[in-house]
Amino acid sequence: MLTPLTQGLVAAAMLLCVVALAYALFDKLINDWLLGLAALVELGVLVQLVRGLVGIGDLDTGERKATFAAYLVTLPFVLALTLWGAIKDKTRWAMSAVAVGAFAVAVMTLRLQQIWDIHA
Amino acid sequence: MPEQLHPARGPGRILVAVYGVLALAATGRSILQIAEYFSRAPLAYLLSALAALIYVVATVGMVRGDRASTRVALLACTVELVGVLVVGALSYAVPDAFPDKTVWSHFGSGYGYVPLVLPVLGIWWLNRVRSATRHPSAPRTSTRG
Repeated sequence: MLTPLTQGLVAAAMLLCVVALAYALFDKLINDWLLGLAALVELGVLVQLVRGLVGIGDLDTGERKATFAAYLVTLPFVLALTLWGAIKDKTRWAMSAVAVGAFAVAVMTLRLQQIWDIHA
Repeated sequence: MPEQLHPARGPGRILVAVYGVLALAATGRSILQIAEYFSRAPLAYLLSALAALIYVVATVGMVRGDRASTRVALLACTVELVGVLVVGALSYAVPDAFPDKTVWSHFGSGYGYVPLVLPVLGIWWLNRVRSATRHPSAPRTSTRG
């Protein structure tokens, strides 16, 4: 996988996680700034999806391909669903869910890179 | 506040998000384990599949949020707590039966112990929702006691 993409994506997702937590803590409403950051992370996830699907043939076994593909395809939905919740329900709890989603994106992106590094 | 009585509103939103992510992760891993190398550790992989199923049931139960669904979600959380404790203990006692990671083995250490903490929070939250629904502080239009 593209290491710079992974690093950038993890950094952006963790930033989003921290910012969303701060918003939840101070009961701040979702705004353009947070949505922009989230859109950036989502864009990174989609680029990763395309890049991953293009390169998936290089992985050595079927099981790794399956895990890799499952993570790749699942990831765009995680953040999108929590964001959708936060837009509909403007509460600190919905904002915390965005933080959870962003954290999941960071962890799963690292896991993707791990699978890629060891087995490609 | 009727909104606060719904299991997927308020703090429940966080629970639903975490349960949803775990449901996805556990289901993906479980399908893979059973499809690719079931014979290696059938017991562990069946438990893995059970865990995945329970996460899905708990997530759906909370999102639906009517009385019956809340009960089902509460039941799922209870089974989950028992499961993570039993499987966690077994994975230390009989490591041969768990050659590969599952969500519940080693008390969920592979998932940052989230599987251990989550059912406790889930049971606490769902019980709160249920008792608030049963004993509303203000008169409510619902006739169900």
